Amino acid sequence: MAALPRRIIKETERLISDPVPGITAYPDESNLRAFTVAMDGPDSSPYEHGVFDLELYLPDDYPMCPPKVRFLTRIYHPNIDKLGRICLDVLKDNWSPALQIRTILLSIQALLASPNPDDPLANDVAEDWKKDEAKAIGVAKEWTSKYAKSHTASGSAE
Amino acid sequence: MGNTPAKESRPRASSYSSSNSGSYPGVDTQPNLGYSYNYGYGRSPGSPFNSYLGESRSRRNTTSSVFGHIVPSRKSKKSEEKDRLREEHYMNLIVKFDESVDGGYLAPYGTYKSNLDFDSEIVRGLIVARRLAPFYTPLQDFDESWSDQELLIIIKQLTLHSIEGAYSGEEEDDDIDNHKIHRSSNFYKRQEQKIKLKMLIEKIKELQKQQEDRYLEAKTSSSVVKSLPSNNLLLRLYRNPVECPICFVFYPDNLNLSRCCLQPICSECFVQIKRLDPHPPHDDPTNANTVKRTTEELPHTLISEPSNCPYCAMTDFGVIFDKNLDFSTGINGIPPHDFEQTNKSTPNVNDNDNESDEQAVMSSSPTSEQEPSIIPTKLRKRRESVPANSPRVITIDQIRPDWESKLLSARSKLARKAAAASAIHASNLIINPETEMAEYDTRRRRNTGSSTQSQQNSRLQTMEERMIEEALRLSIIDEEERKRKEEEKKRKDKSNRDRSFS
Repeated sequence: MAALPRRIIKETERLISDPVPGITAYPDESNLRAFTVAMDGPDSSPYEHGVFDLELYLPDDYPMCPPKVRFLTRIYHPNIDKLGRICLDVLKDNWSPALQIRTILLSIQALLASPNPDDPLANDVAEDWKKDEAKAIGVAKEWTSKYAKSHTASGSAE
Repeated sequence: MGNTPAKESRPRASSYSSSNSGSYPGVDTQPNLGYSYNYGYGRSPGSPFNSYLGESRSRRNTTSSVFGHIVPSRKSKKSEEKDRLREEHYMNLIVKFDESVDGGYLAPYGTYKSNLDFDSEIVRGLIVARRLAPFYTPLQDFDESWSDQELLIIIKQLTLHSIEGAYSGEEEDDDIDNHKIHRSSNFYKRQEQKIKLKMLIEKIKELQKQQEDRYLEAKTSSSVVKSLPSNNLLLRLYRNPVECPICFVFYPDNLNLSRCCLQPICSECFVQIKRLDPHPPHDDPTNANTVKRTTEELPHTLISEPSNCPYCAMTDFGVIFDKNLDFSTGINGIPPHDFEQTNKSTPNVNDNDNESDEQAVMSSSPTSEQEPSIIPTKLRKRRESVPANSPRVITIDQIRPDWESKLLSARSKLARKAAAASAIHASNLIINPETEMAEYDTRRRRNTGSSTQSQQNSRLQTMEERMIEEALRLSIIDEEERKRKEEEKKRKDKSNRDRSFS
C-alpha cells in the first residue's frame, strides 16, 4: 500500500491533538484511511444525550474527492437512511478539497441539529417528519435512547 | 488476468468465423492469401495482447490490412495520433532539474497520483510565462527553528519527484465487460489501451529515475552545474515557506491565489481541480435554473458545471499568479546557480524596503531586462478579487480544454445506450406480440376495475403499437445498414480480386 499523503497524516495528528468538542475520530490501526468516529447528538435536538458511532473512510483521491461517511448507530433522521448513509451536499457534489475531516464531521453534527425533510434520503422518515413533526421528534428521541450510547457514559470517559 | 484473455478470445474467434462464412457465401471460394493468413493470425494466439507486446508496430499494420475494408484507415491514424499525444503528455510529466523556473519545475512533484490529465503543454507554457506558479518541490515539514545549514541539508536530500509509486491508480477500475460472458469488441480495444498505458507509465517511471540519477550526479559532482540552484536561491525560497491549505505541505511563498478570495493554492493542487465528470442534473433548488434549461434540450441530458472555488465556493474557479519574487532564474532568467543576492537576508520585508531593493537586484542581474514580469511585487499587495474573464486569471477549463468534448462524448454514449435499450425493449415486444398482448390483457383484467379498463386498454394498446412501429423502423434501418455494408464489402472484394488477377 502506498504511503499516506502528508495531508492525511497532518489531519490525523491535528484531530487527535486538538479534537473537535463532542466528536472523537481515531484511525484504525490496520488502515490509517479508515476512522472510527463517535459523535454526540447536538444539544436541544432529539439526538441529545446520545453518542452515535460512525465510520469514515478517506478514498485514494482524497482530498480531491470527499470522505465516505456512514452512521453505524441506527438513527431516525430524514436525511439518514437505514444503512446509515447520509444525504449531505458537502459529502457529494459540494465537496471542496479545502474541507477536512474536522469540518465534515461538524457539518454532519449540524445536520443532526437541523434535519431537512424536503431533501430526504429516508422517504418514510421524511414523510412522518412533514406530517407530524412533534411525533417524529418523539420517535427520534426514542431511537436515540434505544440505539445510541448514553452521552453520560462516554462523557465521563473523555 | 493472465488467463482471461485466452478464454475470451474464443467467442470472439467463433464470431469471426461465423460472420465470415455468412458474408462470403460462394462469392469467393478461395480468399486471397493475405487474408487467410491474417485471419489465422487473429485467431490463433491465446491473447491479443501478448502478440501486441513484442510487435506493436507490425501488429498494427496487419490489423489495418485485415480490417482495412471495414475500419477506415483514418481511424487507426486517429488512434495513433492519440497515442502520440498521450506519450507526449506523460513525457511532460517528468520533472527535469535543468528545466526550472524561479527555482521550481514544469512538472508536478507527484503529491497526487491520479487526475494528471490536465493539458501539460498549456501548463508548461503558463509556468514559463510566469502566469502560473512553478511546481516547487515541497517540504513535507518545516520548523522555523531550523538553521540555514539544516534547512539546506534537508532541501538537498529531496528528490525531483515523489519516490513512491508515481502515476499509479490511473483508471485501474473494473472494466464493465469483465462480468459479461460475451465481450464487446471495445473490450479488447480497452484492454489493449490499458496495456499500452501501463507500458508507457513504466517507461516514464524509468525516465524519471534517470533524471533523478542525473540530478544526484550533478549535485555530487565537483564541477559547477549551472542548472542547479545556488544555496542562496534555496534559502531565499525555502526560508519562509507557506503551507498550501489543500495538500498541507510547505512551498516557497510564491503561490497562485484564488481569483475570488485570494487564498493561496499550489500549482499541484490547482491542476487537480476540475469539473465533475458529466452527470445528470440534480433537482436541487439552488441550481433549478440550469436544470430547467438543460432538460428542455434533451430528456437524458448530462451536465458538467465549472468548478467552484474550494475556499469560498465562488463559481468559475480560477487563479491569479503575481510572482512574489523579484528575480527570475532558469528558463528566461539567470542560471539558478548564479543566483547570489546576499544583500537580502529576509525576503519578506515590507513594501517600502522592497522597492529600493528591487532596483538593486534589477541592475545587478544581467538578464533581468528580458524579463518583463518583475513589477508584480507591488501588485500582489492589492487585495481585491478578479473577475473570471480577466486575462490574468487562469481557469480550470483553460488547463483542461477537453472538458467540452468529454461532456459531448458522454452525452452521445448515454444517447446510444438509451437507443440500444429501447431497441432491445422493442424487439422483445416484437418476438411474440400475440402472447405478449394476451398476457397484458389478462394481467390488466385482473388488476383494474372494469370501468377504467377499456380506457386503459386502448391507451396501452396505442403505446404498444407505437413501440412496435418504432422497433420495426429500427430493424428496417439496421437491415438497410447491413445490406449497404455487405454491398460495399462485395464491391471492395471484387475490386481486390480484380486487382490481384491483373
